[in-house]
Amino acid sequence: MRLGLPHMGNIYVVVKAIANQLGIDLIVPPPTSQRSLTLGVKYSPEMACLPFKLTLGNMIEALELGADTTLMPGGAGPCRFGYYHKVQESILRKLGYNFYMVTEEHGIMRMGKYLANGASLWKVIPALRFGLAKLKALDELERMVHKIRAIERDKGEATQIYRDGVKVIDNAGDYKSLNQAKREHLEKLISLPTITSPAPLKVGITGEFFVVLDPFANMDIEIELGKLGVEVRRSLFIGEWVRLNPFVYAFGLREKDRSHKAAKPYLSRHVGGDGWQSVGEKVLHAGDWDGIVHLEPFGCMPEIMARNIMPSIRNGLPVLNIIYDEHAGKAGIITRLEAFVDMIHRRKGGK
Amino acid sequence: MIKVGIPRALLYYQYYPMWKTFFEELGAEVVVSSSTTQTMLSSGSSRVVADTCLPVKIFLGHVLCLVEKCDYIFIPAIRSVKRKAYNCSKFLGLPDMTKAVIPESPPILDIEIDVNKGKRHLYQAIYKLGQRFTWNPFKVRRASIAAWQAHLKYRQLMSSQGLTPPQAIAEMTGEVEPKTPTSTQATIALIGHPYILYDEHISHRLIHRLEQAHYKVLTPEMLTTEELESATARLVGKAHWTYEDEVVGAGGYYLESGADGVIGVMTFGCGPDSLMMDAVHRWASRLRITPFMSLTLEEHTAETGVVTRLEAFLDMIHRRKRRRVEVCV
Repeated sequence: MRLGLPHMGNIYVVVKAIANQLGIDLIVPPPTSQRSLTLGVKYSPEMACLPFKLTLGNMIEALELGADTTLMPGGAGPCRFGYYHKVQESILRKLGYNFYMVTEEHGIMRMGKYLANGASLWKVIPALRFGLAKLKALDELERMVHKIRAIERDKGEATQIYRDGVKVIDNAGDYKSLNQAKREHLEKLISLPTITSPAPLKVGITGEFFVVLDPFANMDIEIELGKLGVEVRRSLFIGEWVRLNPFVYAFGLREKDRSHKAAKPYLSRHVGGDGWQSVGEKVLHAGDWDGIVHLEPFGCMPEIMARNIMPSIRNGLPVLNIIYDEHAGKAGIITRLEAFVDMIHRRKGGK
Repeated sequence: MIKVGIPRALLYYQYYPMWKTFFEELGAEVVVSSSTTQTMLSSGSSRVVADTCLPVKIFLGHVLCLVEKCDYIFIPAIRSVKRKAYNCSKFLGLPDMTKAVIPESPPILDIEIDVNKGKRHLYQAIYKLGQRFTWNPFKVRRASIAAWQAHLKYRQLMSSQGLTPPQAIAEMTGEVEPKTPTSTQATIALIGHPYILYDEHISHRLIHRLEQAHYKVLTPEMLTTEELESATARLVGKAHWTYEDEVVGAGGYYLESGADGVIGVMTFGCGPDSLMMDAVHRWASRLRITPFMSLTLEEHTAETGVVTRLEAFLDMIHRRKRRRVEVCV
């Protein structure tokens, strides 16, 4: 089995760690590029959203490299994403690729069994644990770089260290080197020369998870905000999904549950994707954020609902909506971000 | 008497007889908004963000039109009517969204239907809705049974007599709908959601136009649930959304048999349809038996453009049929 998987942010690091432990031959497609996008757009239904097109492009690139199995998450729910694997499978077959697609549809146990490649449970559990440890390290590093980017003196250094860190964490083969890599890079980030005033603005990023988590899809919005001296706050992390702590679940302590509860007066039920959470975060963070940047791919159903409901929450938290599709241009997005940050500055100064 | 407003949009075409019976049994008066007009569409779309889909904009226009005329507006949130198949986000958030964008609307009667949560949840939801009108649980029970009967009769009228939803509703409420001419040149199947096909404003009177040209029009409601489901299973396997059988199932069925041409009608920006209509399209190009045309409509669609494409499609079918006859002879 040669497993190929689409990209979403840094998730390949985690999957690679698990696959290495289990002895699965994993083919990581080249990082998402203009070529992946072009390939994806060429073969996708025109009105499918950006995540569909990007993941399809990645899968084509993985299959070109010789993958014979692909992995794509899916499942029942109102969002289209859960259905994408089926459409993508039939498109890829029509293109003449011969492969097996692993999806959640066959049941999560069977999917796990297939992917475990004959390894026993005693081997699978430590492998998963190691993968999760890497995930945690990545998330920690990311949270730190969000803070440092806003206040670093020489713009761009923090991003460089972060990218370096991801690479080193990716290469770490055991817990010792993983912890060391994490500590080293966190320290490097903290020791960067910083500017002390003015205090950075805090802007939250919410929206549809794929474009929030994938830097290619959102055109490095976090880096651009960092350049403008803005500290990015975000509660969507891949780690949030897989935190297997029963206490956190049982008492509704997850960030997600908190924002769902906050959203209740405005949106009383789940609308699929992250629509509910986007509404909740606007309610929840009126005090501690200076603004929200709300990201979504064009045509995203849950986020359109959220965007319609958000203006009725009148709590003085400014929101900038950015909609991505294959025609989005980075310059336009930077201009809008600059205007938004200027506006927040002026509001804060006036108070 | 309490007046309950029902917007003539979205799920109206699927469930109106059921809803009407339910509220009337509970002693309320039902007010339905009039047919869609351009004013409704513009007033509806002025309230929401631009990329909201056309049917939702029209729905809000209908709600705005009912604001002064009733005490309550009935907007159900239908999550799921089939196990493991959910509805599009826009149906789920409809009551909340209406509240957010039309703050002046009368109180919204909101009921959540989700069969995945079990029968108990369903009954509780119905009872909670009935409580607004009566304290008596037996009366609610009686009303809901009568409502279900009305729904079954409605479905049966459509599948056995080949009536369209507006015709069936007219039949059930005792109004007279003009009978359609019977002589036919060919049979054209229209597939798409009822709130697009039967809303004459969105669909630019597509059905009327076809009937005027002496074509027999088939719609998804004329098939039984089993026929729809088996065709859906052939095309896409398990259905992902609740109301997509009427697109994929009907598309698959009519492409294989019973129609000389199939027209898929969808609106721009419809999430589920963007994938489902694509599945039908791919099926059509694989089968190569029946011609298929896909029409995407939105508020900027010009009538002339639709008519031109329709004429070209019908000409093509006409020529194809004639050629086939010649070959046979």
